[in-house]
Amino acid sequence: MNSWLLAGTVVLGGGVGATLWGVATGPLRRRVVAQNLSTALACPGLLLLAQGYERPSYVDVALVLALLGPVGTLVFARLLTDELAADPPRAWGLTWAAAGLVAAVVLALCVAVGPSRELVKILLTGAILIGGNVVASHALSGGFAEVRGG
Amino acid sequence: MADAVIVVALVLVAGCATVAVAVRDPARQALVLAVLGVVLAVLFTAVQAPDVALSQLAVGGALTPLLLLLSVRKVKRRKGRER
Amino acid sequence: MTPRTRLLLVLVGGAGIAALLVAACLRLPDFGGDSHPYGDRAVAASLARQTANTIASVNFDQRAFDTLGEMTILFAAVVGCVVLLRQTRDEHRARPEPADVARPVRRYALIVLPVALVTGLYVIAHGQLSPGGGFQGGVVAATSLHLLYLGADYRALERIRPVGMYEVGDALSASAYLITGLAGLIGSAAFLANTLLPYGTFNTLSSGGTVPLLNAAVGMEVACAVVVLLARFLDQAVEIEEESGK
Repeated sequence: MNSWLLAGTVVLGGGVGATLWGVATGPLRRRVVAQNLSTALACPGLLLLAQGYERPSYVDVALVLALLGPVGTLVFARLLTDELAADPPRAWGLTWAAAGLVAAVVLALCVAVGPSRELVKILLTGAILIGGNVVASHALSGGFAEVRGG
Repeated sequence: MADAVIVVALVLVAGCATVAVAVRDPARQALVLAVLGVVLAVLFTAVQAPDVALSQLAVGGALTPLLLLLSVRKVKRRKGRER
Repeated sequence: MTPRTRLLLVLVGGAGIAALLVAACLRLPDFGGDSHPYGDRAVAASLARQTANTIASVNFDQRAFDTLGEMTILFAAVVGCVVLLRQTRDEHRARPEPADVARPVRRYALIVLPVALVTGLYVIAHGQLSPGGGFQGGVVAATSLHLLYLGADYRALERIRPVGMYEVGDALSASAYLITGLAGLIGSAAFLANTLLPYGTFNTLSSGGTVPLLNAAVGMEVACAVVVLLARFLDQAVEIEEESGK
């Protein structure tokens, strides 16, 4: 077991485990934030696993998660607007902490991989993921102000 | 020791699936299902099945929540009109 | 049948299945062992036909007939949904009000939509080379279009999504799979046999004989099917209303 796999296991076990607890308990506003964070934490975990198994093609899984995870959160933000409007979730601290973790993992992987096609893919994954999670967080805290019937 | 990733992923899947059954409200269930999709994808990657992981992410990431919440919205609208 | 006998029947049947499952589990090879009789043969067969991703070779070459069945299931499911969720005589369409979406969310949707679409096409096109394939890429591409609903509103989505065209595309790509399979009969081979086209160079886009063709057909079928399915659900949730008094 190399250190990449160990780091991936820690991120997945600690990070995704915590978001699982968050999504299982508490009010709705906490659960949507936990769902958003689950993609933000699982994606660096998957990137670390790809590096740990030395399989560059596994990065595709992380790329698809980075694209579709925030889209899933947007679905909740859009269709649960009424439920979230009274008490909008604000979790900027957690969101930026997760974004920082993603950036750190992507940076470490970039140093390890060196200039190649995989590097471009990892950078793209990181950028899409951070942007997507910040925007999804924004959408949850009142990004859909007036959605009636639409 | 090398199987630690698989053990962690299996525990996460078991926990998440149990929660998905235990939660009763459909909207919250959809949230748990979205997380379950991500966790399952991690498990499939850990057992070296990235094709299945991609299928799981594609379906569980945005499609399943969208279908579930649209159904919930339709049912709620009908109830609102009957009231 | 009284509830008591029914319960007894369930218990007997359940016990039988449980016994069979336990017996099967006891004979399973050890977790993570190094003997993989099926895997070794599948890898050898896919390498012989210049297909880099063995999973794609299993799906679209060695077990292409199974994939035809799976594709038909999806096709039938979508047809069933279209029939069930159609607009009935006592329902009418209400124009959904435009949504007021915050600017960052709108921008994000417009930026990510093309990226996700290209990623979906990339996953389909590289199905025979790297993890992924028609099903995965098709779903990603179809989901990406619905960012227009999430980032703008339903009318913006309707403008780029003529559902009729996607229904035609769904049927056409399903028949394309069948016709590629029938073409395998030319030259005294079998249905869906991968003998028609040259196998090409290993690890290039055009390698694997008919695998890329069948893969592309499935990708188009899945993408169209998901768009049609979501269109019916969105119509019901957003537009169609029952007449008052119902």
